Amino acid sequence: MPPGPAGLGRYVSGTGLVVLVVALVVTGVAAWWTRTRNGAVHTPAPGTGQEDALTPQTVLAGLGVRPDDADLTVVQFSTAFCGPCRATRARLQQMQTSRPGLAYVHVDAESHLDEVRALDVRRTPTLFYLDRSGALVGRSSGAPRPEELTALVDAHTTVQR
Amino acid sequence: MTPSPSSATPSRVTPGAVPLVDVRGPRFGAWVTTVVLAVALLAGSGRLVAVQALVFAVGAAAGLRYAPYGVLFRTIVAPRLGPVREREPAAPPRFAQLVGFLFAAVGAAGYLLGVPILGAVATGLALVAALLNAATGFCLGCELYLTARRALPARTA
Repeated sequence: MPPGPAGLGRYVSGTGLVVLVVALVVTGVAAWWTRTRNGAVHTPAPGTGQEDALTPQTVLAGLGVRPDDADLTVVQFSTAFCGPCRATRARLQQMQTSRPGLAYVHVDAESHLDEVRALDVRRTPTLFYLDRSGALVGRSSGAPRPEELTALVDAHTTVQR
Repeated sequence: MTPSPSSATPSRVTPGAVPLVDVRGPRFGAWVTTVVLAVALLAGSGRLVAVQALVFAVGAAAGLRYAPYGVLFRTIVAPRLGPVREREPAAPPRFAQLVGFLFAAVGAAGYLLGVPILGAVATGLALVAALLNAATGFCLGCELYLTARRALPARTA
């Protein structure tokens, strides 16, 4: 919005105009970020051997996650105030019907705050992807994009009809 | 303590079990909120921000069914649109009303108590959240809920 004619200054707050323009720019950047980066699956660098430290795997094992029972285990942290959590959960459960090698574990983040802190889960949904050997093959925050989720699941499991 | 490997849980929420809203309602409300806050910023009007804070407060306290913009949507907008195609649980957008209220309340207080810069910045932050929600459906307050919850000591429930 360009500054209007001189007379408009009497009706428009200069501070308000500046804040409005900054807010619009911030929103634009945030919208771009949610469209492009939100939910992207990050693959942790392999072989960073910190055997003494509390690894994500040990924390998840404490939550009852048993990766050796399935080809791919997806662990989802959710909260009650999370719209995309529900859609992500439904999508994964839908995928389970045709992929027997896919296991899904749902964790209510609020009732497991110690684990949430240990795993540095900041937003919901946050997902952890573990293969049968127990290796962490990926992690994502925010609802994963359907095609990326499907590609990751398909890379580790086989579809059965 | 252990999470349920919820293979048996149905993925569709049964109507009636959880309060549901037409997804278009909160989006419409977010657009109205964006316009109201933009006008308030341009006019430097603390009273208008206070009105918006009140609107947020009703939605957060009484539920989305009674949220003023939700009522506007149901009575005027929805009948002109097609039938409801998608519903979502009411809890996340209702929580967002509470987050919106906090920012709008600080904004209104800033303007009305003679700290217009605080009023403008808080109002601007509320506008970012509302416009982001309106344009993309992304709920900033919902996303940050866990971050806030983590920082607080564990609740003994």
